[in-house]
Amino acid sequence: MAEVHVIGQIMGATGFSESSLFCKWGVHTGAAWKLLSGVREGQTQVDTPQIGDMAYWSHPIDLHFATKGLQGWPRLHLQVWSQDSFGRCQLAGYGFCHVPSSPGTHQLDCPTWRPLGSWREQLARAFVGGGPQLLHGDAIYSGADRYRLHTTSGGTVHLELSLLLRHFDRYGVEC
Amino acid sequence: MVMKTALSCHLWGGVGGHGSLELGRWPSLSLSSQGLEEGISQITSKSQDARRALVWNFPIDVTFKSTNPYGWPQIVLSVYGPDVFGNDVVRGYGAVHVPLSPGRHKKTIPMFVPESTSKLQKFTSWFMGRRPEYTDPKVVAQGEGREVTRVRSQGFVTLLFNVVTKDMRKLGYDTGPPDTQGVSGPSPPQGLPR
Repeated sequence: MAEVHVIGQIMGATGFSESSLFCKWGVHTGAAWKLLSGVREGQTQVDTPQIGDMAYWSHPIDLHFATKGLQGWPRLHLQVWSQDSFGRCQLAGYGFCHVPSSPGTHQLDCPTWRPLGSWREQLARAFVGGGPQLLHGDAIYSGADRYRLHTTSGGTVHLELSLLLRHFDRYGVEC
Repeated sequence: MVMKTALSCHLWGGVGGHGSLELGRWPSLSLSSQGLEEGISQITSKSQDARRALVWNFPIDVTFKSTNPYGWPQIVLSVYGPDVFGNDVVRGYGAVHVPLSPGRHKKTIPMFVPESTSKLQKFTSWFMGRRPEYTDPKVVAQGEGREVTRVRSQGFVTLLFNVVTKDMRKLGYDTGPPDTQGVSGPSPPQGLPR
């Protein structure tokens, strides 16, 4: 079986209007993939940047997959939330990116979006907070039923992932 | 499956913040390492010229061996400095994985400190000189347990790595093209990276 190691960090995020941000992340794979070691999902710390506007998380990612097929290549899905001084959390954006398929170190910039809602909900979000959220998280990384959504863009999440592939050439896969 | 040969990774280079370095453990089947895994640098002050640079130029020379890339070593930095009362307080924690591909790599990592829960605690800790800090700085190298921490990011540290690997290709691992990024040598950080 071929193996894939994903080693890297969720470095941080820029371009969000709120400042105290954290990220809930997860990796979704197809049926042919098996996670041998590492945690498949997690949540970063809450960071308030003092210099500049980039919130830094430096959250380590270390995953070891074994796979029998190329379908369902791992996808990293992210939810960026902001936390205010009272401890309430508000959604800032959803995003996903495929784990790179070529070995080496990659800098990834993952754009995010959030559902917009009606003008009443937008007004409420501006004053009170809250706002619509997705009921099922799989809409973040799947294309089905996206046409129903009306969204606006959020900021960008920056990741640095290094990929180590093993035995892919044995199966004739070029990457 | 028994792997007869082992993966090993040498790294040497310099670190530019006052700080202590800990090389995160490689928790795999057979861990062995040579060279110092922890160190404390000298205390440095900002330069008087326009760069206002803090330079440690701290050498790191360590070799790791493992049979599995899972748990690849990370370097964990804790930076301390005196506050206005003269107490040594923590100024930042940061961590980064040692680069996977051989070659020369320059990394600038952000440093963050845990934040006090309330304004009163913030004032008390400032006054008493006891700021919130991690009991074990290696927490910064792990993902679990971080979701309840609130931090403030302030400052960056630049590290320069020269990495050599042995027998990774022999065991079937493909690390991709060697990317040296045209790094010329140690130099102080020129302003903010982004």
